[in-house]
Amino acid sequence: MKNRQPRFHVVKRESAGPGRQLLAYVAAVVLALAVGAVLLQVQGVNPVTFYRQMLTMGIPGSRYPWRAVENFIKLFVPLLIVSLALSLAFKMRFWNIGGEGQFIMGAFWAAFAAMRLGDALPQPLMVLVMALCGALGGGLYGVAAAVLKVRWGTNETLLTLMLNYIALYFLQFFAETKAEWNFFLDPESARPKFVKFPAGAQMITVPIGPFHLNLSLVAALALCGILFVYLNRTKRGFEIAVVGDSPNTARYAGMKVGRIVIRTIFLSAALIGMAGALHISSAGVMSASPTNSVGWTGIVVAWLAKLNTAGILVTSLLITVLQFGCQTASTTYSSIDANFASLLQGVILFIVLAADFFTRFRLVLRGRSRKEAVK
Amino acid sequence: MEKQHYAIEMRGICKSFGSVAANKDINLNVKPGEILALLGENGSGKTTLMNMLSGIYKPDSGSILVDGREVSINSPEDAKRLGIGMVHQHFKLVDVFSAADNIWLGDDKSGPVLKKERYGVIRDMAQKFGFEIDPRKKVHNMAVSEKQTLEIVKVLYYGAKIIILDEPTAVLTVQETAKLFGVLRRMRESGHAIIIITHKLGEVLEISDRVAVLRKGEYIGTVDTATANEQKLTELMVGRKVELNIDRPVVEKTRPLLEIRNLTIRNDEGAVAIDNVDFYIRGGEILGVAGIAGCGQKELCEAIAGLRPIESGMMIHKGDNIVGLSPKAILEKGISMSFIPEDRLGMGLAPSMSITDNMLLKKYDQAKGPFVDRRAGRAEAKQVIEDLEIVTPSTETPVRRLSGGNVQKVLLGREIKAGPNVIVTAYPVRGLDINSSYAIYDILNRQKEDGVGILFVGEDLDVMIDLCDKIMVLCHGKVMGVVHAYKTSKEELGLMMTGALDLTNKYEDKPAGIARDSRIEDAEEGEE
Repeated sequence: MKNRQPRFHVVKRESAGPGRQLLAYVAAVVLALAVGAVLLQVQGVNPVTFYRQMLTMGIPGSRYPWRAVENFIKLFVPLLIVSLALSLAFKMRFWNIGGEGQFIMGAFWAAFAAMRLGDALPQPLMVLVMALCGALGGGLYGVAAAVLKVRWGTNETLLTLMLNYIALYFLQFFAETKAEWNFFLDPESARPKFVKFPAGAQMITVPIGPFHLNLSLVAALALCGILFVYLNRTKRGFEIAVVGDSPNTARYAGMKVGRIVIRTIFLSAALIGMAGALHISSAGVMSASPTNSVGWTGIVVAWLAKLNTAGILVTSLLITVLQFGCQTASTTYSSIDANFASLLQGVILFIVLAADFFTRFRLVLRGRSRKEAVK
Repeated sequence: MEKQHYAIEMRGICKSFGSVAANKDINLNVKPGEILALLGENGSGKTTLMNMLSGIYKPDSGSILVDGREVSINSPEDAKRLGIGMVHQHFKLVDVFSAADNIWLGDDKSGPVLKKERYGVIRDMAQKFGFEIDPRKKVHNMAVSEKQTLEIVKVLYYGAKIIILDEPTAVLTVQETAKLFGVLRRMRESGHAIIIITHKLGEVLEISDRVAVLRKGEYIGTVDTATANEQKLTELMVGRKVELNIDRPVVEKTRPLLEIRNLTIRNDEGAVAIDNVDFYIRGGEILGVAGIAGCGQKELCEAIAGLRPIESGMMIHKGDNIVGLSPKAILEKGISMSFIPEDRLGMGLAPSMSITDNMLLKKYDQAKGPFVDRRAGRAEAKQVIEDLEIVTPSTETPVRRLSGGNVQKVLLGREIKAGPNVIVTAYPVRGLDINSSYAIYDILNRQKEDGVGILFVGEDLDVMIDLCDKIMVLCHGKVMGVVHAYKTSKEELGLMMTGALDLTNKYEDKPAGIARDSRIEDAEEGEE
């Protein structure tokens, strides 16, 4: 009889320790960088010098090293907050992929507050008001999908995805419509162009020597700690874990599942909106595309970190190094641009997921099992 | 033995998953025209072994012979070609297809076109073997026994000479089981080799010619059924002497704790699941609920726990109507519900969370302040682990990692710890081996002695007759009657389960299963 022997079969490993998993991740990143090195070599770029420049982010030897760090923080903070916020939703198995839209809405309403009240309020109060407006704007935008899901069982993945585009074009309308009423735009400029925020609406920075510490970094790090406690220690965090694990069990235990979903998604979206507010306040001006794709990258970070709060801190830091480093390094090489960072990020994600598979399973090649048995 | 080939012979089969050896050096053979029962507790490796015959797994070592020739079975297609057909415990049918299409679908010869004559071909073929199936009937309109028949017709149509049935009677009533056994005997006469997996001893003795026993993945031996009895088989299966009697302690009963009147409930599809049902549970009593799967048991449990809105009727707990109360309020009244669904973890436990967290599931909210009191949960987990002899590495192990019996003990342990006065438990021994099952019966009996009223939704009629004080039988959501367990028989229950016997109107003056609680009348008067 003709027999098609499978070349290998998949066998489950005994439980892998955390050390082994970490090792697998490090190996995966190294492998991804090696793939990147090949791509760089093909383009005639020396991978060693490129990676060195990428990892140091052009800080040594720069005339303004502090400026580089400040710019790094501006990139890092939104990603960290968005990833944290998304992990909140994902822990409940609510697939919020509307981070982009919620970020834009948060930024929009913060900018609205900045333009309307920026001259009237003192700076600390103004920044606080912007953060609140951003949180409310993003939160209400995101909670719509949660309410619809709870009431009518709609699919949150589709809804949050589509809401992204609505937010994007909503913002674009304001960015491109030159009109008397559109106070977002610079009246002096003939072409539509966002006007800079009043001084009061700029993010507070604390000067430490030549370095200006962006207060949003402090806020983001504090948020890290708060969310860790919230998820792991509080009753609300317990509810999120149970609803994520088994909604039927949650109902059975007397939890009001709908209310928990709505509350958690509001919180998640509000934090993303707040990240948008902090971001544009740090930038000092509105932009037609303020997100820098954090809504997407945040999903990657949250997954790579397995929704673990400390893991998110580390992962978002590494991803920002990758993005910011590629940006700086690419200024030296004309053939490389910031897109290389996205490419490398994709390769890393792919290989890490594969590594994850191999920490849980192993392949047994054809014939080997039989030999083992003979032994 | 003369030079006749076995239909199937397995020699020295080993299979392990990771570090767990599911099958160790197993030898098994079946002759054509013979029914072999494969007996073993849960987790003894019966299904794994059979999956290697049907090509789902590959043995790590050992050889399989079909008709005396060594073969290598790498896929279900290989198995089909060798004439091996398996009827799985969970049917592998396409719900929206007709019976004929389900068979046609997997047939290599049928080609890409759905031919009109397929209905005729399949009906003729089924009749040849003495089956009655309607080839045009859609699977989702079929009863469980019809689906099973279809599965058997399917493997016969594909030309199987060796037929494996994995716990075929688990979903059948007594009468349907008898019918199935008739079919199996006919197949035996026509020279088929049949392997039937089961852990019901009575059935083994009734149907099989020989019995092969597995214990914890090891092959214990094969005995001729004619020389075996229940006690001997149990000892082979468990490995030591086991007391096969279930206690039914006599406890002084109290007034009805929970009374259900004229209750009607709809299921998720909007059809009537429980139809105008009356019954009551006293303290110190176990009321069994028997019925074919899907006869409204789930809906009834959910309604009592406040998880499902009711259509009409009353549910009175100690004189208070609990209709419309939130699950939490019902919990606080001391009504506990533990429902073990087919996948075990669906309702009642959070599978990825630790034992500690699962202990806290219903009372995490009682701690003062915003934080969850894990220390109390851990202490409770430790105690439940100790009291019920739960096997676990620690209190922080996710429940999902525990074995089935331990999962069920965690669930029941938590429910009992909460000190309920009414326990609603559905399928608490589902899929458990003999030892664990008896541990659970003991737990329930101890609760009963403490004056708790227990509603026991069960599957195994033998067990219910031994354990319960009274048994209520449901058929399509209607009560067919409540009988005293010590007076009834499996046959009577079986007839009631299929709706052939209705006791509710037997005595006009005293409708069975309905008692009036005087306090309710008081409450109603009070409202006026």
